[in-house]
Amino acid sequence: MTRQYPEVQPELPARSRGVIALVEENCTSCMLCARECPDWCIYIDSHKETLPSPEGGRARTRNVLDRFAIDFSLCMYCGICIEVCPFDALFWSPEFAYSEYDIRDLLHEKDRLGGWLESVPPPPAHDEKAEPAKELQVAARPPRPARDAGAPAAAPARERPVREPRAAAVRAIKPPGSLPKRPDPDPDPEGNGSGPRPTRGEPPENVT
Amino acid sequence: MANVTENREQVVGIGAGAKELATEDMVLNIGPQHPSTHGVLRLRLTLDGERISQAEPIVGYMHRGAEKLFEVRDYRQIIVLANRHDWLSAFANELGVVLAVERMLGMEVPIRAVWTRTLLAELNRILNHLMFLGSYPLEVGAITPIFYAFRERETLQAVMEEISGGRMHYMFNRVGGLKEELPQGWLDRVADAVHQVRTRLPNLENLIHGNEIFRARTRGVGILTPEAIMQYGVSGPIARASGVDFDLRRDEPYLAYGELPVKVVTRQEGDCLARFECLLDQVKVSLDLADLCVDRMRGLPQGPVNQRLPKVLKVPEGHTYAWTENPLGINGYYLVSRGEKTPWRLKLRSASYNNIQALKEMLPGQLVADMIAILGSMFFVVGDIDK
Repeated sequence: MTRQYPEVQPELPARSRGVIALVEENCTSCMLCARECPDWCIYIDSHKETLPSPEGGRARTRNVLDRFAIDFSLCMYCGICIEVCPFDALFWSPEFAYSEYDIRDLLHEKDRLGGWLESVPPPPAHDEKAEPAKELQVAARPPRPARDAGAPAAAPARERPVREPRAAAVRAIKPPGSLPKRPDPDPDPEGNGSGPRPTRGEPPENVT
Repeated sequence: MANVTENREQVVGIGAGAKELATEDMVLNIGPQHPSTHGVLRLRLTLDGERISQAEPIVGYMHRGAEKLFEVRDYRQIIVLANRHDWLSAFANELGVVLAVERMLGMEVPIRAVWTRTLLAELNRILNHLMFLGSYPLEVGAITPIFYAFRERETLQAVMEEISGGRMHYMFNRVGGLKEELPQGWLDRVADAVHQVRTRLPNLENLIHGNEIFRARTRGVGILTPEAIMQYGVSGPIARASGVDFDLRRDEPYLAYGELPVKVVTRQEGDCLARFECLLDQVKVSLDLADLCVDRMRGLPQGPVNQRLPKVLKVPEGHTYAWTENPLGINGYYLVSRGEKTPWRLKLRSASYNNIQALKEMLPGQLVADMIAILGSMFFVVGDIDK
């Protein structure tokens, strides 16, 4: 039971929520993490920078991150920022020994947040019963057959088969949580049940 | 001298003739800062000598406005707050919120997530009970049991931390399932941890349960009647210790409890000892349930543990009430949505709040010295009272 702590470091699991590490290069200063944080303890400053246009092309702008700071005196260690980051710029590290004498020193600026990165462990392997990772699922999917046939063909011939699955895919994700229990009235061929539903057969035009 | 032997009841010295004088009751404040209230609960006791003639629990010193904060948080952020009001049963608290939201959405949770939630809820129950099994003897003067209780807690917390990354505020529930997949080999380590706790639990039990002093201080002390339980809405192990045979896991099964043989632990005495025994036996029942969950999870088919959610999760207009059997009693979440991404109102019914109100009934007539034993046996978390 007794652990000789400073001499013997504890073995913490990879998911342990100790401190948040930042990969500065991945951050696009999109502010999602700062907005989703339940107690707004992430501070982001950025400015836009215009890149010189390459060979007569359009000039591009990009966001440059000036400041990224997390106030660990406010942080509730919920991990929502890490979950919402679409660009994998934030990671949990099990490192925990960063207490300070002055509460203001718990505000970690981006250099210090970047410094935690080397203590980020690789994520643990998943259970045998888990669904394979999304990347593997995509890789295992058979290649689309329309691709080869469509490429040399004329434009109108290709357009029709592409549109159909697009509309179907949009319908599938429409209700939040996908309501799997409700019996689908779609398969009945009479069309009585589908009366209130508007324009079922044709793909909607305003689908994005 | 002859006079004294004749009438032994006669009072001599200080206090002689007190009957003729008007005596005043003493008002004694226990708390808000008091070592045995483990938190800022204040009791205003009116004493008549050593006896309590009136008791009034004064709550609210730790009010953090959780319900109001829920109204300006989206459903993922609510989980952060919801697992903090009762910090000893964080997982069970998260559960009520997500169950309410899922019911409003008509969402079906993947079966692996349901079983994992059930398992984690039972592990959380054991963790919570072990805390009180250690701290209650501490309050009545036995220091050793808490070390045993914390060793068992540490064993279970290791597996909880491995799956969720947190030791207290697990933050592992999400609407539609769980945050992450189980780590490889985690189920084996859970089975191992449960086995270890089960084999070592008799150490803790033998240490305190048969202890003469412990029994003398708790048996027949602080009897809570089933009538008071009904009137005050007391629930959980405290209610079951007085013979109120009610457990949502059996009587209104949620999660996978419908498929599990939930043995409801009850006692008839309703005293401090019965409450302690209820807690101890519930740990054993929960260990068995955890084992059953692990067995069932090994036989489940491959599948996800969560649902894909939209970027902005909006709950359709309406209201629902989800209640769960938390370690300390019934937790209820009354969710009213107006179709926004935040609830319009999320009323939280926490177990401790109702449970400690019964102190008003229990304490009068008891000695001050027994007050600590009674208070400790009510198994509350102040955050859960004040919210």
